[in-house]
Amino acid sequence: MGLALVAPAGAQTMVRLAAAADLEPVLPPVLAEFQQQTGIRAEVTYKASAMLTAQILNGAPFDLFLSADLGFPERLIAAGLANSAAPVTYAKGTLVLWERKDTHLPPPSLALLRDRNLRRLAIANPERAPYGRAAVAALKSLKLYAALEPRLATAENISQAAQFAESANAQAGLISLTSALTPELASSGRYFVIPRDLYPPIEQGAVIVNKAQNGAAARKLLDFLLSPPVQAELAKRGLTPVH
Amino acid sequence: MDWQALVLSLRLAAATTAILLAVAVPLAALLVLGRGRWLAMVDALTTLPLVLPPTVLGFFLLVLLGPRTAFGRGIAALLGHPLAFSFDGLVVGSVIYSLPFAVQPLVAGFAAVDPALVDAARLLGAGSMRLVTSLLVPLARRSLVTAAVLSFLHTVGEFGVVLMLGGDIPGSTRTLSIVLYDQVEDFNYAAADRTAAVLLGICVVLLAAIYMSGQMRGAARGGRGA
Repeated sequence: MGLALVAPAGAQTMVRLAAAADLEPVLPPVLAEFQQQTGIRAEVTYKASAMLTAQILNGAPFDLFLSADLGFPERLIAAGLANSAAPVTYAKGTLVLWERKDTHLPPPSLALLRDRNLRRLAIANPERAPYGRAAVAALKSLKLYAALEPRLATAENISQAAQFAESANAQAGLISLTSALTPELASSGRYFVIPRDLYPPIEQGAVIVNKAQNGAAARKLLDFLLSPPVQAELAKRGLTPVH
Repeated sequence: MDWQALVLSLRLAAATTAILLAVAVPLAALLVLGRGRWLAMVDALTTLPLVLPPTVLGFFLLVLLGPRTAFGRGIAALLGHPLAFSFDGLVVGSVIYSLPFAVQPLVAGFAAVDPALVDAARLLGAGSMRLVTSLLVPLARRSLVTAAVLSFLHTVGEFGVVLMLGGDIPGSTRTLSIVLYDQVEDFNYAAADRTAAVLLGICVVLLAAIYMSGQMRGAARGGRGA
């Protein structure tokens, strides 16, 4: 019994991280760097922000939640599951139009969205995926939504939207810059950055879950993500720094 | 309640079940009556869809049926449209996904038929076709019902393959299980409860009706002293 009271050497060396799907191509090297600097290992689960929120609401043992928007972390705060008054914005997302290099359509641009030969355009679910919301907002700003709606293929999350386009089942996709910059998509396709004034900013928010077993480690990781060198690293991988 | 999605799910399940029975009866007969080591390979292949996570199976199908493979291009030329994001594509995906649920009960049912009967029928000159239609299928009727019910219900509840292959298009690929998942994901639990209740209600009634008719026929047979 006495042994159980002695904290094992690695007690504070782990943090459980719930991260939005668009972070999957971005975070692994950042987390490796974090472990090297602090000795804290991050165990990370990538899923759609909505699903992670539902899991945390139902008691999933995560310490830190990195959402793809502000709405989901706000929901956790409202439910009394996170202590802060508001989520911390740790990055901003960028929406791009991505297309395989070997399609017979013109290169990605706003004109491609008006092209009648664009038979299928992949987007993420606009009801809950932040990039899907941004995609619909951009199409509405361009007054193209009504024309394109019957030709949309809606994916459950942003990485699946990228798969629809990468597998050429959709001729193009409105996806995250983080996906477009992955080696696979960068080599098979090209992208066009959707002008930022066409959609509300995709602010990505974080909260520390207040039942966190590794609260101190979660705080350290969040500070690490906000530090200028890491923010610069995120920028190279398709996220816009917050400062 | 999204009735369009319910109707779509039932249509998909009916089409899948019809095709699966047409494929699975000869396949199961081959597995039971055939000789040769290669049949073990066929048996293994038909069971394989159980192993893959459905979304992964859906992803493979998305790639296989897509315009990047000769197979996908051939099918698109044949149908005039690509299979992904269409009802036909979901039927193809569902047939593959539910294949083990149709084949396995039939294999078990056919294998349980007394080999002496099969030998006698063969001696009397019955060909393979006759053997299946006049002997195996009537004697293994319960297995046929089980195969149909499992295929149908498995398709109604199918989610991962539809998610990957469907693209959530109302009226052609937005099935009830996708709607239900969306409602849960959107924290719309009241609507999700209603959808799930309707789905479960329909399935219970359907199953009870099928099993009751099976019991009544069984009782009638029993009355003749089986």
